[in-house]
Amino acid sequence: MGGFRYNDTAFSLAPRGDCWDLLRSLPGGESAVAGTGLFRGLDGGQAEARARDLVRFLFPVGTRIVGPDVSHPLRVGDLRIIGPDVAHPAFTHWNKDTVSFPREL
Amino acid sequence: MEIKGSVALVTGGGNGIGEAVAKQFAARGARVAVVDLVQKNLDRVVKDIQVAGGEAVGIQANVTSEADTARFIQGTLAAFGQLNIAVSCAGIIRDGTMLTPDKETGKVARKMTLDQWQAVIETNLTGTFLTLRDAAEAMVNGGWDGLLVPISSVNKVGQVGQLNYSSAKVADALMPKILVGEFLMRGIRNIRCVAIAPGYTATPMLTGMNQDALKAILQDVHLGRLVAPEEIASLIAHCAENEAINATTLEITGGLCYPKGIAK
Repeated sequence: MGGFRYNDTAFSLAPRGDCWDLLRSLPGGESAVAGTGLFRGLDGGQAEARARDLVRFLFPVGTRIVGPDVSHPLRVGDLRIIGPDVAHPAFTHWNKDTVSFPREL
Repeated sequence: MEIKGSVALVTGGGNGIGEAVAKQFAARGARVAVVDLVQKNLDRVVKDIQVAGGEAVGIQANVTSEADTARFIQGTLAAFGQLNIAVSCAGIIRDGTMLTPDKETGKVARKMTLDQWQAVIETNLTGTFLTLRDAAEAMVNGGWDGLLVPISSVNKVGQVGQLNYSSAKVADALMPKILVGEFLMRGIRNIRCVAIAPGYTATPMLTGMNQDALKAILQDVHLGRLVAPEEIASLIAHCAENEAINATTLEITGGLCYPKGIAK
């Protein structure tokens, strides 16, 4: 039966007895078995709906926002975070609100 | 618990003991969520289970990540609708003595690094904790009969060169007593916990080692060979079927002894 795409990967379902096999396409026209013997007794439409839900857990995508954190050890996994350099002589630490801050420095 | 029709989750299921456990449960009619860090290993194991006529799904995840743990539990439920057996096989070694003096000066030349310590503790202990915690949560909330299986090691007794590994594995071995006690205290009656402590096992890590060193290891094993991963998988399957086995750690070593014949 037809397949679907999730993120950058194409998936397809193949019937196997009263179950379904979930296949994941690989580069070069190959495929890998992501799941086998799934969704017993469901028809093609129901199985595809379940498969679309399942692949979100198998192959998650997402974005993690890392905001300014001056006490952070500067690494998150393989990412090096380039944050504000609080030790730089030109760095101004603004700790006053606009009311209390003097009009003239 | 009847294995046929149950749902098992196996971390570290992409090779070694975990692969054998995943395949054994699938062969006995369980639906299996195979979890591993390496996608190509998952693809191979799920393909093998497909060829054998079993039911499985592969979930790539890092057991030290709380987000990943939650995701593979949710993925298991999305695939099979329940969870009954959780086997925490994911484990690593980073061997070395805590201190290594220089042979000539006698001064410390090398120390076990914090990375060496933390990597093993995080995978072998924290990973097991997260897996069992979230699996048990699903079992309680779903009302399903459950079995939690941390994988300890015969080296829980304290193996030189493995301060990190032995520390994690002795903690894993404690889990059944503590968890089952807590379950009783909290009125949770549907979940058992049994740890398995294998001896030297024929995983790629050992079969690929220096063969002379391997021969020396086997001199202390009464059985005269490495334990097969399939034999460990059989024990875990037996634990699933025999509900009287609970709150304990079972060793499967082939009769591993200290030199001069005292059993470990």
